[in-house]
Amino acid sequence: MKRGKHLKAALFFLLMILFVWESPLFPQERFRKSPPNPEPLSALKLPAIDSYTLTNGLALSVIQQDNLPVISLKMIIFAGESHSPENLPGLAKLTAKMLSRGVSYLSFSKIEERIESFGGNFSVTIYPDYTLLSFTFLEDYLEKGIELLSRMLLQPTFFRREIVNVKRSMYYDLIREYEDPEFIAKRQLHRLLFSGHNYIKSTYNEDVIKNLSQKDIVSFFQKYYRPNNAHLVLTGNLNLPTASRKVSRYFRNWRRRELKHAFVPPPNPNTKLRICLVDIRGINDAWIYMGNVISTLDRQEIFPLLVLNQVLGGTRISRLFMNLRESKEYAYWAFSEVEFFKNFNVFFVKAKVRPEVTYSSVMEILAETKKITEKKIPSFEIEQAKSFLIGNFPLDIQTFDNLSAAVSEIKALNLGKEHWEKYYDNIMLINSEKAFKMARTYPPLSPVVVIVGDSHKIIDHIQEFTEIEIYNRKGILRQTIKKGEIK
Amino acid sequence: MTEHSGIKKGFIALTLLLYILAGILPSQTQEKKEPPFPFSEYQLSNGLKVIISEDNSLPLVSVVVAYNVGSIYEQAGKFGLAHLLERLMFQGSENVRPMQHISLIDKVGGILNATTTEDKTIFQQTVSSNQLARILWLESDRMRSLQITQSNVEQAKGTILEEIRHRKATEPYRESYLIFDQLLYPDTPPYIHPVIGEEADMRNITADDVKKFYSDFYIPNNAVLSIAGNIDKKKAISEVRKYFETIPKGKEPHPIPLPEDSKKTPIVVPITDSLAPSPGFHLGYEIAHPSSNDFYAMKIIEYILLRGKTSRLYNRLIKKDGTALYISGGIEKKKNLARLKIFVINNNEIMAGRSKRAIFSEINKLRSRQISTEELIKVKNMFKMDYINQYTTSLGKALLLAETFLSKKSLDALSTELDKYLAVTSYNIIRATNKYLIKGRIILDIKIR
Repeated sequence: MKRGKHLKAALFFLLMILFVWESPLFPQERFRKSPPNPEPLSALKLPAIDSYTLTNGLALSVIQQDNLPVISLKMIIFAGESHSPENLPGLAKLTAKMLSRGVSYLSFSKIEERIESFGGNFSVTIYPDYTLLSFTFLEDYLEKGIELLSRMLLQPTFFRREIVNVKRSMYYDLIREYEDPEFIAKRQLHRLLFSGHNYIKSTYNEDVIKNLSQKDIVSFFQKYYRPNNAHLVLTGNLNLPTASRKVSRYFRNWRRRELKHAFVPPPNPNTKLRICLVDIRGINDAWIYMGNVISTLDRQEIFPLLVLNQVLGGTRISRLFMNLRESKEYAYWAFSEVEFFKNFNVFFVKAKVRPEVTYSSVMEILAETKKITEKKIPSFEIEQAKSFLIGNFPLDIQTFDNLSAAVSEIKALNLGKEHWEKYYDNIMLINSEKAFKMARTYPPLSPVVVIVGDSHKIIDHIQEFTEIEIYNRKGILRQTIKKGEIK
Repeated sequence: MTEHSGIKKGFIALTLLLYILAGILPSQTQEKKEPPFPFSEYQLSNGLKVIISEDNSLPLVSVVVAYNVGSIYEQAGKFGLAHLLERLMFQGSENVRPMQHISLIDKVGGILNATTTEDKTIFQQTVSSNQLARILWLESDRMRSLQITQSNVEQAKGTILEEIRHRKATEPYRESYLIFDQLLYPDTPPYIHPVIGEEADMRNITADDVKKFYSDFYIPNNAVLSIAGNIDKKKAISEVRKYFETIPKGKEPHPIPLPEDSKKTPIVVPITDSLAPSPGFHLGYEIAHPSSNDFYAMKIIEYILLRGKTSRLYNRLIKKDGTALYISGGIEKKKNLARLKIFVINNNEIMAGRSKRAIFSEINKLRSRQISTEELIKVKNMFKMDYINQYTTSLGKALLLAETFLSKKSLDALSTELDKYLAVTSYNIIRATNKYLIKGRIILDIKIR
């Protein structure tokens, strides 16, 4: 009897344990309460960049990577849209796009076939300062890939029929791009910031494409497409001696020609707040792009600028996003960016907002921008920004193509080793004082403000501004309205 | 028995033995093929599958948690549950505040994303490798204790309803894509509704529905955790055990009945899409199951017809004939079914008719004529590059491992998977074209108002 009682008690006790164990009442493990602290940051071992220059002046950078059977080639030509003649904007792009449109004994369609048969992909990107030809393919085709690229650069045919085709596709591409309010806003911001400067040429409209001729292409090509005005970045499983031997074999006959790049001073920063509305009928939201030129020449100054940008608008936890979207609920999103050019930078803020809060949004952005010039950023925000920049850096160099692209940008914009080997160190050195000094030296105040939207939906909500310039989609000034003139 | 017959029998036996040895020996000497990158597999006591791949090239780590659940697991009247739950996975759990998952990753410069498809739900993130424990903490917390309340369910439903309405009002051809799927897939409901859900269903979903769906499917024994990057394998699995092993195992989810192909008869259906700026059409075929051997040939056929600027259909419709403004397509997999889909936009209906005839003519050529060696090498190289591109990043590796596991293929298959595509012959192509690209042709003609 007594024994049975004990058994019952034991069974009851066991059941209770099981019940408590399975029930939510059972306390969770302590470690679940709060996020674990990160371990020390692992060292970033960047791959070495080995360099060599051919006798004709073609510079070669090789990044040896052996983990994938892929080759990435990036040919930088140190001439971009800002090098197009004054009256022929768009010429740099047309010239670059023509390179794969036919070479001696190889038509455009044969070139396309060849590229795809290497498992490859070829594209061109034109920046204001430089042109980048990108070619990625399977490593089995290393020899053939280099040969094909060399033929594009040494023997392009520039046939008239193909020029017509490329001009047509450039024309329609641009028309399609002008459907995008963000594209229009950024183009207009550049147009206004670069007014009277060489860089204005990169903001052309589709109308000018018809002015470009075969003669112009040949002349641009002969002037700028020279080995001593180019730099080849190669990533793949090969070392410098092999790469230079192969590159030399196909590029040694590329003839050099002396070329002097005159120093182009940066555009003058905007000094007075300027409000510009680009009127696009029928769209429901307002896109704000506001920015200014920061004419820094010292590349070391980029690092505090990057940290400042991060604090202000680099991510969804930065000040602009938290204020305009999370707190005020004005914006769908709000970010800031630093755009690199060869001799200067552009700092800009972008936001997509409801039309009725356009004025308030611009004022909030201005207030946030002003705040960083008046009050030191607390250390924890600086550290958070640095943590983002350091954590994010390797994400951009994971593929061979991204690796080549990052090195190409450094070479093309002369960013130097500071941006490669010492990137982590340079970011780590930034503190509240350095960021504050940067903010006060180059206050991104008095920006050009571009608002893209339907004037019927927006104009009533921005009449507090002293003066509003109204532009059409192509950037032509239609009207200037002063405060009080809006009915 | 004569001596002669004895010798003969001995000879036959010897010959047989040699044959057998010939069959065995080479395979014994063949080296086992390595996978494209190394990985190790583990299984926790609660059923969670864990796959870890070390890659020390950059100080990054990618973590993928993939659940074997998607829109085809939803009950009629509750369409959109899987996608709704994906949204709620960012709205907090016992120890993680709403949106804290996102902000913690943002703060350290990481990236994250989530995707729901018909048959899987994937959560992915890439961060500095020193943050691994933090990601495991985040993922394990929402696997064990997601906060599902009336209020956060209603909020998520509101956002999704807004998204459905926005898409309906603004996305040209969206309606045609939905109707085309209804024609192309078996009539069984789970296959023919959009992953995002239906407006009426979304309104009816309650917090209890979400809780049940969560407890049925978001359980360790219905998930795979894959980690790739700059980590120490032993340390990583020890962290995984710490955060995941005490999460209780759930009831094994009932396997959903998978409809077989219905062998549909060819049909042509016209519709009017009020948002479409130009007419066009969808064309589709039932093709080999994703797990069948014929699937490899079908994938190469997809490349011959549709991949790249020199593919047969792009060449014919866009470059040569100029009858189409736009063409896209490819193979779509939904669990055990696969379809080849082609979508074309034309200037007018006459051009649409010509485009269709041109596509049939190109398919006919593929049925009867051998593909040239050059073209076969080209498409295989294009495929090879795309295949390699899947695992050029740590995230790509983690995703490939998780998706291979969910597809029910053995991970060992990764060692030979690419080779199987590259082994497709011109004979395989003719055979597969004749088998799959004739019957069951479904056409949806899009007319404009």
